[in-house]
Amino acid sequence: MKLDRMKRHGLDTVVDAVIVGTGAGGAPLLARLAQAGLAVVALEAGRNHDPNEFPADEVAASEIYWMAERLSAGETPEAFGGNNSGTGVGGSTLHWGAFCPRADQRDLELKTECGQGADWPVDYATLLPFYQEAEQFLGVSGPAEYPWDPDRHYPLPPVPRNASAQLMQSACDKLGVRATDAPAAVVSRDFEQADGPTRQACINCGYCHQGCRVGAKTSMDVTYLPVAVAAGAEIRAESFVHTIERDAAGQVCAVVYRQHGVDHRQRCRALFLCAGAIETPRLLLHNEIGNSSGQVGRNYMAHVATQVWGTFADEMRMNKGYPSSLISEDMTRPDGVDFVGGYLVQSLGVVPVTWASGVARGRLLWGQKLVDYIDRYNHVAGLGINGECLPQPGNFLELSDETDATGLRKPLVHFSYGPNERAIDRHAVALMTALWEAAGASDIWSLQRSAHTIGTCRMGTQRDSAVVDPVGRSFDIANLWICDNSVFPSSLAANPALTIMALSLRTAGAFLKNGV
Amino acid sequence: MPESDPRPFHGMTVFCLHFLGGSGRGWRWVAERLPPTMRCTTVDVPGFGDASTASGYSVEEMAQCVMQTIRQARPARWMLVGHSMGAKLAAIVARHAEDGEPGLGGLEQLVLLAGSPPGPEPMQESQRRTMSGWFAGDDSSRRAEADGFVTQNIGSALHPERHALAVDDVLRAARPAWLAWLDGGSREDWADRVGVLRTPAMIVAGAEDGALGPDAQARFMAPHFAQHRLVTLDGARHLLPLERAEEVARLIVEQAGSVGSAEAAGSVASANAAAAVGETYWALLQSARVSSGTRAVLLARAEPDRAEAGPAALTAAQLATLHALMARVLPQAAGREIDLALRIDAALAEGSGDGWRFADLPSDADAYRAGLRTLDVAAGEVGFACLDAAAQDALLERAASGTFPVAASVGLLSPSQMKLWFEDVRFAAVRLYVAHPATLARIGYSGIAYGGDGPRKSGFVDFGIGRREPWEPLPRLPEPAP
Repeated sequence: MKLDRMKRHGLDTVVDAVIVGTGAGGAPLLARLAQAGLAVVALEAGRNHDPNEFPADEVAASEIYWMAERLSAGETPEAFGGNNSGTGVGGSTLHWGAFCPRADQRDLELKTECGQGADWPVDYATLLPFYQEAEQFLGVSGPAEYPWDPDRHYPLPPVPRNASAQLMQSACDKLGVRATDAPAAVVSRDFEQADGPTRQACINCGYCHQGCRVGAKTSMDVTYLPVAVAAGAEIRAESFVHTIERDAAGQVCAVVYRQHGVDHRQRCRALFLCAGAIETPRLLLHNEIGNSSGQVGRNYMAHVATQVWGTFADEMRMNKGYPSSLISEDMTRPDGVDFVGGYLVQSLGVVPVTWASGVARGRLLWGQKLVDYIDRYNHVAGLGINGECLPQPGNFLELSDETDATGLRKPLVHFSYGPNERAIDRHAVALMTALWEAAGASDIWSLQRSAHTIGTCRMGTQRDSAVVDPVGRSFDIANLWICDNSVFPSSLAANPALTIMALSLRTAGAFLKNGV
Repeated sequence: MPESDPRPFHGMTVFCLHFLGGSGRGWRWVAERLPPTMRCTTVDVPGFGDASTASGYSVEEMAQCVMQTIRQARPARWMLVGHSMGAKLAAIVARHAEDGEPGLGGLEQLVLLAGSPPGPEPMQESQRRTMSGWFAGDDSSRRAEADGFVTQNIGSALHPERHALAVDDVLRAARPAWLAWLDGGSREDWADRVGVLRTPAMIVAGAEDGALGPDAQARFMAPHFAQHRLVTLDGARHLLPLERAEEVARLIVEQAGSVGSAEAAGSVASANAAAAVGETYWALLQSARVSSGTRAVLLARAEPDRAEAGPAALTAAQLATLHALMARVLPQAAGREIDLALRIDAALAEGSGDGWRFADLPSDADAYRAGLRTLDVAAGEVGFACLDAAAQDALLERAASGTFPVAASVGLLSPSQMKLWFEDVRFAAVRLYVAHPATLARIGYSGIAYGGDGPRKSGFVDFGIGRREPWEPLPRLPEPAP
């Protein structure tokens, strides 16, 4: 994005706020605070990209993924790196899939409902205006009528369905499952975005996860960040924050970040950590702050993200079209099941290296069978889910004994499915297999995988069991705030980004009202 | 003449980037000695020369300034000559050009003169402190400091006209820009970002240069250039374009002349890539539907493997075992195999990784060494590579099921580790295999061609079950029988 004319602040200036990270957590905040006239600086570890330069190549796209090594432990260790955490001005929104359902009201009160999981200290009615505002501002495309929420209307018409979506719709019709066009943060027609260049209508290229070249996909660098910069915010790219300094009273007074090998110190009145559920707790643990509750790093969660694949006689060419253009929320609370919570179902088009990587890891194929199966790429289509994950004591993040190039200890994440995740996985495999059989697929198989990074800095009402209060403010340090997926008390079945943005807008409001 | 010339020009444009305190004027004597087929264009970066009042002193901003000049000039063919500070900028600009950024196509050669390397400059702190104290006083002390700076950096006396111009240029520089380089720019570490460049480079050093002499060039600069030549100018110190304009011009012409061989090498590489992907896919790859960035990435990947170079992370014996393993994991037809084992070895040597690893495995390179050794131990005296295919597959079945028949021991992987490592092996092999343009051609993949470099991309208009646009490639293999 264009940063050449942005306002710049001196290192000796005590800016009103420093925001670490420019993704879904940091960017809306940055815009809000700058619009309110505050002096704000965002520090982003990754580069500032010209979207037009993103190649149509999955390996080269590692440029927008967080590639510093993480260690993954447990019975179901999560894969990081590609398509998990992002880097660059815009954070993970550079590579996210733009699939943007809202949280289900019941998921925010799971503990009350069933005695398991956790309740959020914020209810749906509170989040609703922020959801609506974000959807309008971003230009979310979706159906005129949303079957699971009669009050919901999306501002733009849906993006066209690809082959996988067409198959899933016909299969759902046969099995009596409701499905509709997915809410997608991808503009289905040219869209004038405030303070930024016109976002072109989606061209159906299928490369959402490798960076959108035309601005159709919502990423922060084409939405909230141009607003922030126009309002006077400064964004410093390639700036990796490692040290948080505090004054005699224990308040944050500065951060130290490394840019091109040189350390710089930026003074500030308030600090927002928006670096995601791995890097945010890593910063707190490294600096040994904000953890009187002992909850930093605890409650690590990843969505159950099982996929089912099948081969079809017709060509699918699933690389074409918006990848997840159909949704079903019918499994949010299915009847007669042995698990709590639920899951969303989506159609899947996946580009070939990513798809074949899943085959390599998840389907025990090698040799000629593997070669032959890869050759069938143009005939393959998939379904996937995003399912509830309960917080468990055994799932947590800590710092390992190994350091990386930054000199910080590498994060070590322990993650094992519990009985509830396994039950969701089984139910989803059975459902999706039935759907793909109904659609006429052959050679059906399932890939067990998890997705997203959630938890580790839980928000709550009690300082002994949560890291931040219900608006994201640290219980320990009054001018330290957190806003990203780390504050989620439970995973929700919905993909996280839209909820992160809603929380970001809400946290901004709370800070402007009480925090300054 | 160094300044821009509005006439269309079809020869080689030589972009010259000055040293700290210098400016485009300092290239005059070099430019005069270039043949008419070459045209010198100089860039004064912010804070120096004619741009002394411009702001933006960081390396990034200076490099952007250079790229803006190049984009505006729209050269058909061009080379970059960077002197000292300018050499760091040249390496960064070359990285952007090799990444296929719009408006930067056509870079053919680099010449780096007494260059500051992409990583932090090996400058003594005392020197940095001394220089940071300059130019704060009155006119006469400033002039004396500028004169001292020029004098310190030459091996023998300059022609008076050149000396006067150099001193004058130093005095023209904005002091904040001077300080920004000393305290900031020269310390900035761009080594990872620049990586290893493919563009042929000539690296020139003055034999008498202190911190940036021949040793420093070999140690800090040369590793960034896959094809480079080191040249030392005896008796010269640091201000090479002023000290040795004639020789510098000759070296630039000589480096430009090696274009012929680079073009020849390029066409061999192209021929290899074309043969690997087949005529139809090659035409698609060259078409306007594919962006220049995508094309650059795919062509680089299609370059043939250089097995003769030997392994970089593994031993020759381990590489042989890995070759045997790859032949079982992803068998390829003889003739044009992608050397997956060699590419994995290169990735291990680079240490870039894929963003994570199983906590139960050691570092990637150690896991490969131990995993390959464990395969060989299981194979008994002959080693894994000498087993027949059925016996190899039987061992891989045991690896995949976590029942590998070798007990945990020092330097070996346990059965549960073998299961994880074999998963990593399949993953690494498949990524390298599928990302290769020959495989994309084989499966008839259209995604690389969703849009070129124009403001509006074509994208896809016809998709859904059984839909194919007329231009979309068919697989290179016959469809398997139903």
